Amino acid sequence: MTPQTLFPDALVQFAIGGLVLLPLLAATLCVLLPHTPRRILGAFTALAVLVLSLPVVWQVSAGDVVQSALGGYDAPLGIRLRADGLSAAFLALTSVVGATTTLYAAAQPHSTGTRLLSGTGQVTASTGAVATGRGPQWEPSHAGFWPLWLGCWAGLNAVFLSGDLFNTYVGLELVGLTAVALVALGGRPSWAAALRYLFIAVAGSLLFLVGTGLIVAMTGTLDIEQASSTASDAGPADVLALTLISVGLALKLALVPLHRWLIPAHSGSPSAVSPLLSALVIKAALFVLLRCWLWLFDPDSTAAGLAWGLAGLGVLALVFGSIMALRQTHLKRLIAYSTVAQVGYWFLMLPLIVDPAAGNLEDQPGTELAPDDVVSGALAATVALALGHGLAKSALFLAAGYLKDVYGTDEIAALRGVGQRHPMLVMSMGLAAVGLVGLPISLSFTGKWKLATSAVAAGHYWILVVLIVATLLSAAYMLRVLAPLLIESEDDASEVPGPQVALSTYSRLAAYAPLLLGTLTIAAGLLGVWFEELLEVGAPW
Amino acid sequence: MVTQLMPTPAGSALANLLEHPVVERTVDVVPLIMVLLSLTAAIAIFPLRDAQRGVRTTVNLLAAVAKVGLIAALVPAVVGEGLRPEFSMPFLPGIDLVLRADPMALFFGGLSALLWLLTTIYAIGYLRGTPHQSRFFGFFSLCVTATVGISFAGNLVTFLIFYEMLTLVTYPLVAHWGNPASLRAARIYLRYAMGGGLAVLIGVVWLTMYAGAVDFAEGGAEGVAELSERSPGVATVIFVLLICGLGVKAALFPLHGWLPHAMVAPAPVSALLHAVAVVKAGVFGIVRVIDDVYGISVADELGVLTPVLVVACFTIVYGSYQALRQNDLKKRLAYSTVSQVSYVVLGVTLVTELATTGGVVHLVHQGIMKITLFFCAGLFAEVVRVKAVDQMRGLGYRMPWASAAFTIAAFGMIGLPPTAGFISKWQLGQGAIASDHPWVLWVLIASSLLNAAYFLPVVYGMWFRDPPQDSESARQDSGAAQQGSSETRSVQVREPLMLAVPALCTAGFSVVVGLAAAVPFSPLSLAEYIAEGVFG
Repeated sequence: MTPQTLFPDALVQFAIGGLVLLPLLAATLCVLLPHTPRRILGAFTALAVLVLSLPVVWQVSAGDVVQSALGGYDAPLGIRLRADGLSAAFLALTSVVGATTTLYAAAQPHSTGTRLLSGTGQVTASTGAVATGRGPQWEPSHAGFWPLWLGCWAGLNAVFLSGDLFNTYVGLELVGLTAVALVALGGRPSWAAALRYLFIAVAGSLLFLVGTGLIVAMTGTLDIEQASSTASDAGPADVLALTLISVGLALKLALVPLHRWLIPAHSGSPSAVSPLLSALVIKAALFVLLRCWLWLFDPDSTAAGLAWGLAGLGVLALVFGSIMALRQTHLKRLIAYSTVAQVGYWFLMLPLIVDPAAGNLEDQPGTELAPDDVVSGALAATVALALGHGLAKSALFLAAGYLKDVYGTDEIAALRGVGQRHPMLVMSMGLAAVGLVGLPISLSFTGKWKLATSAVAAGHYWILVVLIVATLLSAAYMLRVLAPLLIESEDDASEVPGPQVALSTYSRLAAYAPLLLGTLTIAAGLLGVWFEELLEVGAPW
Repeated sequence: MVTQLMPTPAGSALANLLEHPVVERTVDVVPLIMVLLSLTAAIAIFPLRDAQRGVRTTVNLLAAVAKVGLIAALVPAVVGEGLRPEFSMPFLPGIDLVLRADPMALFFGGLSALLWLLTTIYAIGYLRGTPHQSRFFGFFSLCVTATVGISFAGNLVTFLIFYEMLTLVTYPLVAHWGNPASLRAARIYLRYAMGGGLAVLIGVVWLTMYAGAVDFAEGGAEGVAELSERSPGVATVIFVLLICGLGVKAALFPLHGWLPHAMVAPAPVSALLHAVAVVKAGVFGIVRVIDDVYGISVADELGVLTPVLVVACFTIVYGSYQALRQNDLKKRLAYSTVSQVSYVVLGVTLVTELATTGGVVHLVHQGIMKITLFFCAGLFAEVVRVKAVDQMRGLGYRMPWASAAFTIAAFGMIGLPPTAGFISKWQLGQGAIASDHPWVLWVLIASSLLNAAYFLPVVYGMWFRDPPQDSESARQDSGAAQQGSSETRSVQVREPLMLAVPALCTAGFSVVVGLAAAVPFSPLSLAEYIAEGVFG
């Protein structure tokens, strides 16, 4: 059976539509249901989305760009869904991380936020418990997680599968707003962070919208394929549009110095939310950024200033974020700063794109690289780094959130030695750390390898220096997290802290979610070749 | 180019069997199975509770025994029949992960399999009743996974992957006791090893870019030979990067700083670190780079071998001198490792077949002897709380078996016949005379004298001196027992079997290997076979 015939075309068409509509439908249904059925519905939706993404990814990896015009209306009027290699890669990440985290949340309702029980004796739907007489109380678990997250998921899939800029904007807006609400589920301490996040998300979307407007004015179409074919030589208006879009997306990506909103938002949100925000939500912005730089525009030397500026900020992010991570005393804040640092990696490729001269290795027979190879290598590297980050960061945040829920704190000093009680959990953090630092064999290692190859081929040796420094710094801060958890001082008088919550209320299965993601971080490193071929599908060169 | 070591009738029957297609494919997977075996053991051990001692021991021993068996089965096929079982899968564009069983891989893999079995037995006895055993044995198995991967790696990228893995999984072992000293040692170790790993990484990336994926090949890889012809400068810089990076684990001066600190680890870990895993991985890497990546003639033409030789010579003398100054037994042994391991480097940089044989065979010989010494040091520390050299007087009466093992291994280190150490030194000495650098012989002599100076007084004291009078245990003996106290101090102590037997085994090996050096499939004959391949 050849790959093409494994899934009939109708099924693939159905799947690509279902990926966007099914979570949206489930989100709507959720609103009508009490908490426990929401969990069941959420879990089943997660599995269904995971299954639906299979035929799409399969078809794309077989070499086809999957397209579907919803309602039969074609571009530029209709809504067109389109999955190429880039979409498939991010879609795969979203389905895996999203499904795992959803199942974790379903098994572990404590992790979905805290809700306020008013003191008036109101009966809550989920537990039937009556809180009487003692004024408002905060209780773990929040049923609002389900519609919000499923809506967010629909938005993510819409961004990844969208064929035109307006749908991308709508998807981004949906993702941003639901993400803000998800942060707010963390209870009163998170509200300030959520508000700040709201401003950033809206400002970023607005800038993107203005940039999109400029493009429509110039090309007369919103469809990405059509717009890129109509755009002729890059003029000042192009660069302006690209700048607006890039700055707007950099806001959403928390590129230094626009990063300050991310720390409280990611570290203060509920345990099941932080992994989603860090692994998936910011990836939506990255995806659009890559689409715009590589597909929509064909940036040459006119955008060099912008590219170098963003790459410079990326370097700054890597150094500054890592140093700040080293100085944190709380687990989740450290991991959040590590996100700020890792975002920097994704911007390093921009100077390579605008100046992909590959003359540097011409006389070396070992490697032959054309300019297109430099661009495709840089893209593959960035996507590998982003995907590796998504897997590793979701595992880390899940594990850290678990610890915070159980022990009531995420202060590293207070968690010393918990590895003794949760070997699997610390093991999964270790695996994730390997992935995050980019040691072989993880996906990030593949990414760094490709980035280094492309950089040397194009003569950008500074990228090597950045990679080395960033790797060392990330190793340093990951060690700062892991060493105390793994090994407690024996001559230390303080005992290993006891759990705040009875461990029996925590399902044993839930601890396997971070382990699964951590293992995938490493195992995905073996997919490097498949992955590079996948990205070639529907590439603009 | 297949040299038959043992052309026997059984050999031809084996050849027929091996040519069968099913068998051929199965044999190809064996290197992968070797790696997965230890990995599976680790995965099985981690979730166990500390109390599940029986299961843990069974898993450990089963995996260890299975691995020794697999290696033993591979040796005739690889050395006798010239097969090169190989497993490969794509990893990066143009780069494969390759696990290949060539003679060098078997040589090192065999050492690690055998010593892992013994060290596991020793560690089970040593750690009995202490907490965190599942963590320990889990990482212990991962450590061996990495070592096996290093030995079977068929190209530089695969080697690098397992090399980095080794760095990471050794960290929890060094830090096992969890006291500030061991945490500090583990941190120092990690800093050194990560730095070294990074240098290797840069070297490998650079080389891969300029010369393509570098497969280990007897006599050097083709791409590298071309590269060093075209741009010798780049080839030299890459060589320096690789050697410096590997030199950290191999404890070459001045990169040896972590090793004396790391001796705070539990005795089985020190034994493993010094004899098979970390230090040896570094040296093994150096041997691979010189012999199988650059090729000895290419490296010689580049003129990079003589500086390495000089560094190795200096490290030998410096390590011996430092060992002489240490009073702590494990520290003395650690500096002795610094010195002894450089013999291997010295051997492969002398550019003669005899010296290469000597260097390669010392990989195994030093491993067997040094692991014996660390087993004994652990025994002394556990049973009679003796950790310093000056407390070792009279130990021969109290712990005769351990002392005997220690004595044999110490004689081996000095290079007295008929031990394994003599064979190494004899080969190295002959190689030195035949080479362009006959002065190296003086280094060997000086080092042997220094070895004697730091081991012989200890051995003499153990057997021919009275136990120290002023030790704390003696002072605690109350006045009532005054008369008997001198007697109790010299009375024999029960030596735990699980600790003493591995030590005696390895001590026995170090004599057998020396006596039976000329027998087929002995380490020496294998090393000769490898050296023949290196010099084509």
